Amino acid sequence: MAPPPTPLSPSELSYLHTSLSLHPPIRPDARSPTSFRPLVAETDLLPAANGSARLCFADGTEAIAGVKAEVEKVQGLGNVRWYDNMDAEMGGIEESERDGEQEGERGKGVGEDKWIEVTVDMPGQRDDDAMVVFLAQMIHEGLVADGGLKNRLVINARWHWRLYIDILLLSPPHTYPLPLLSLTTHLALLSTRLPAPISNHDEDPLFNDDWDASSPLYPSSDTYPDAKTPPQSSPARPPITLLVISVGDNVFFDASREELAVADAVLAVTVGAPSSPSTGLNLLAVRTIDPPSRLSASAAEVGRAGAEIDAEGGKEGVWKASKGGMKRRVLARMVQMCVEGGGVGEEVLGGLGEFS
Amino acid sequence: MTDRRRINGPLGGTAPPVFVSSLTSKTTSPAKRTRAPDELRKIFLKTGLTPSASGSAYFELEPSTPTAASECLASKAPALKLTCTVHGPRPLPRSAPFSPQLLLSTRIKFAPFAARQRRGYIPNVGERDLAAHLETALRGVLIGERWPKSGIDVVITVLEGEEDNSWNKGQSGESGRTGGWGMMSILSGCITVASAAIIDAGIDCIDLVTGGVAAVVRQPTAPPQVFLDPCPSDHEEIFAACVIGYLQTRDEITELWTKRSIMASTDDNRANTMEFEPLVDQAVEAAVAARLVLIEAIKESTEVKVQTSQFGHPKNAAS
Repeated sequence: MAPPPTPLSPSELSYLHTSLSLHPPIRPDARSPTSFRPLVAETDLLPAANGSARLCFADGTEAIAGVKAEVEKVQGLGNVRWYDNMDAEMGGIEESERDGEQEGERGKGVGEDKWIEVTVDMPGQRDDDAMVVFLAQMIHEGLVADGGLKNRLVINARWHWRLYIDILLLSPPHTYPLPLLSLTTHLALLSTRLPAPISNHDEDPLFNDDWDASSPLYPSSDTYPDAKTPPQSSPARPPITLLVISVGDNVFFDASREELAVADAVLAVTVGAPSSPSTGLNLLAVRTIDPPSRLSASAAEVGRAGAEIDAEGGKEGVWKASKGGMKRRVLARMVQMCVEGGGVGEEVLGGLGEFS
Repeated sequence: MTDRRRINGPLGGTAPPVFVSSLTSKTTSPAKRTRAPDELRKIFLKTGLTPSASGSAYFELEPSTPTAASECLASKAPALKLTCTVHGPRPLPRSAPFSPQLLLSTRIKFAPFAARQRRGYIPNVGERDLAAHLETALRGVLIGERWPKSGIDVVITVLEGEEDNSWNKGQSGESGRTGGWGMMSILSGCITVASAAIIDAGIDCIDLVTGGVAAVVRQPTAPPQVFLDPCPSDHEEIFAACVIGYLQTRDEITELWTKRSIMASTDDNRANTMEFEPLVDQAVEAAVAARLVLIEAIKESTEVKVQTSQFGHPKNAAS
């Protein structure tokens, strides 16, 4: 599941690890811990898709994402059994009052997780490979975690959009491509437009074939179609996933391949735009990722003696991957840096906002 | 061409009708949690049950509401039953490239009868994802360089899994790829049972890793609160949940998985924002509690092993 190990010798790795765990740390390309490498992006490049984006990172990794939308009948409506709504009927007045309230608030129903499908295609990898599965799952998890996107897919009580997000990684996977794929998906969703409906409330949907009349899936806050849905009610940006690594006590963003090779802990943090401004970002999902250092060949060279279990007490000048997990305070700091107001997450979201 | 001469059954599968009890209207209301917020369900853990594997363990969580629900099939409280076998360390096949350390492979499979909806035999995406989580949790714990050129397989079968909805809530919206909240406590159980089985197989570890779950739950009256070891069907709505794989003696986390908006700002704005750190701390509490059970189970099996090595197997001695 991990990317192939870097061809660095144990002493080179040791040098990297030491310089990254200094205070302040020194990165090989002299960036600050939170700065990102430049990236190239374009949107709306696939004419046959509802939305698309291409993103190219500085290390040469590149991905294309296409978003296709299909109209689908709501599943499970036909076989509602009589007892399913039993308690609602028995519940009486207050239940129906609450329904009415929600109706007015949302105007529509609530979406389901399975209306969004994410597939990832990587060159030279089987599609049941652990890494491909994990990446698709992680991106899907982030997209459904903030309820905003799936609620947008409701057309009326009987019909909904189904969104297919297909991501194609063009370059061989040198590093974990998670942030690349996540940012590409973000841009593709921002550029996604859905045709404007010309049918009324609960009719079978018909759509205007004028593409200029279509409405964006994520309307930017100033071009809201009507004042009925205020921008505060749902986050107007898709979530993004950031890859954060820690070396010693230091935390780094946008790690290069060499830095990943000596990481003590790797964390994928999904953040979404908050529902109300100025409170920092919403934390949508966090998961640990196996640091690739544990898989590299040099990890085992020292410990053969068997006496020393802890990696930190290894020989001077020869680096060895650490055992165990990450400390709680490092973990808290990594998450905090992504989420806090004015933190890295906001900066990245702001930077990507320039494209739309 | 459909067969028009006979009356055929419906195309899709059908679920058996579950009738509302006529005695009280209370049966359709969801089961309520009777445990305290920081009280875990009782854990049963035993190692060494599969003789053909080099290490094995069985893990069970009791149903959360054993008494009230037993009469009605529909509101039967879910239990969690896992069995884990560890095969190896065994030599890699000749064709495999050289590996300086132990290669770990994990596999989690739901038995076809594990949940309300039948599962196929081919692992689906959710199961493979759980296996990836488990691999992350275990990799940091194994001292792999003591077994070069070899591999172990950790295989977990979920005999009975938890579901998000109790049965009388209608269609379970699950069956999607992410699975639901039930997956979180399944993963936590998997981490604990795999740890027990690896120790039973005699593979060196730096510490015992155990799993713990905590969730932020909406309550009917009070503000949202953190509950340890949540059972999804007990709670009305879960905002966020966190699974952890924790090493107590080193105070380190090998695996962390949280889902859903943690800074959940709902109707009342600031009062119920839940922070990330308290949730993780509560999950750690749950993992520490599970560790006590794990240690007891290992002690028990070690005593049996010592006895059998000294006096032969007790069964043989009796005959």
